[in-house]
Amino acid sequence: MRNFILFIRRFFNFILFLVLEIVCIVLIAHTKTLQGNDITSSANRMTGLMYQKQNDVVYYFGLRRMNDSLLNENARLREKISTINSIEVVKDSTVHRVVAPADSTHVVRYADYIYHTARVINNSVSSANNFITINRGSSTGIERNMAVISGNGVVGRVVHVSKNFASILSVLSVEQKVSAKLKDGTYGYVTWDEKKPDVMLMRDVSQQIKVKAGDSIFTTSYSFFPADVLIGTVFNIETIKKNNLQLLYLRPSTNFRNLQYVYVVENKLGAERKQIEDSAKIK
Amino acid sequence: MSIYLRNFLRFCFIILLQVLILNKITLRWWLDPAGFPVFIPYVYPLFILLLPFEISVVGLLILGFITGLTVDTFMNTAGIHACATVFIAYLRTNVLSALLPKNLSEYANQSPSIKNMGWMPFLVYSGFLILLHHIVFFTIELWSPGNISYLLLKIVASAVTSMLFIIVYLLLFTRQSKARN
Repeated sequence: MRNFILFIRRFFNFILFLVLEIVCIVLIAHTKTLQGNDITSSANRMTGLMYQKQNDVVYYFGLRRMNDSLLNENARLREKISTINSIEVVKDSTVHRVVAPADSTHVVRYADYIYHTARVINNSVSSANNFITINRGSSTGIERNMAVISGNGVVGRVVHVSKNFASILSVLSVEQKVSAKLKDGTYGYVTWDEKKPDVMLMRDVSQQIKVKAGDSIFTTSYSFFPADVLIGTVFNIETIKKNNLQLLYLRPSTNFRNLQYVYVVENKLGAERKQIEDSAKIK
Repeated sequence: MSIYLRNFLRFCFIILLQVLILNKITLRWWLDPAGFPVFIPYVYPLFILLLPFEISVVGLLILGFITGLTVDTFMNTAGIHACATVFIAYLRTNVLSALLPKNLSEYANQSPSIKNMGWMPFLVYSGFLILLHHIVFFTIELWSPGNISYLLLKIVASAVTSMLFIIVYLLLFTRQSKARN
């Protein structure tokens, strides 16, 4: 026993060093599961407040750029509305088809979205997993695993929520895949390969599918994202000789370097859908 | 100013400098934006490097852990910065005693600085520890053994810029008059 105490006293520094390193590694290991540990996330009150104060100062410098992006988005939405309004319902005056009232139940509703706006108060593009902090939290109805999009396209997923702040894991993350589809409906997924914040990859697209540079890639309704949100546009196509599959290089449609505002998408039917999918998984 | 107060103020200042200003600067190779990794300079290990000479290893380890964890909280990295900072805090005493001609206990009431170490020894001391910090940090962050060249590129680029920022910091915030302690 005396020897043991002597040993501890002799190597106390080294033992403390090892203990602290093990604590760090445990903390890191906790985040690798993406369940996350809320102790060290930028969504907590102190850091959130700090970022909020800093953003209040820097905010005005970005107003002009933000104004432009909002104008662009308005123009795009107006265009969309006009295409919807311009479809005339062709009425055939000779044949009157009676629509049975029961038929209206064939319209299946699988999602019901509410968009919350939020201001970005912290942002990064340089690490292997990039996080964004926004100034909305559980007090305004933000919950974990909600999808986040910007005016231009996908942004990420909410991972930590505190009362007034939330942090988002952006799609520029080695741990996050996004379910994606091409214009013709071919499904796949989009990943990021951690090197460049301006390039994303869509792997394993079969060679029969003709893809051109400039094609758009959208989200699917399979994931937590709302369907048909733009992810990016293809700018380079590479065929891998080994398995004859195509590798598509995308430019993300969202400019992650100067995000100002994002929309947090709440799906009212999401919980129900999650429940039924989980129950299917267990059996 | 007491040495505790001064170090506490330096802690706050360096953390805020790192988190609110340097983290927003994403550097890259301007000629080819997509071909070079983006990175940010990490200046906060300087707090550990500038602690007084006679501080014990235990104190260094605990302060290193706190510093790392604070930066982790701001950057959502959960322990990676703490791991790297504890590592250099543990090695600091050995590096210092290897570099300095006199025994560490003879520098009573002093902190490592350009003035009492000279430019070259101080740059070697900080450069070596910053490089170790970056190696540990980026190895854990990227964790992809298949991509060694990218990892090395990121470590070297980041370490060089961090050192540049540290030199600028020292030039700006070293007292020109005769230091009291």
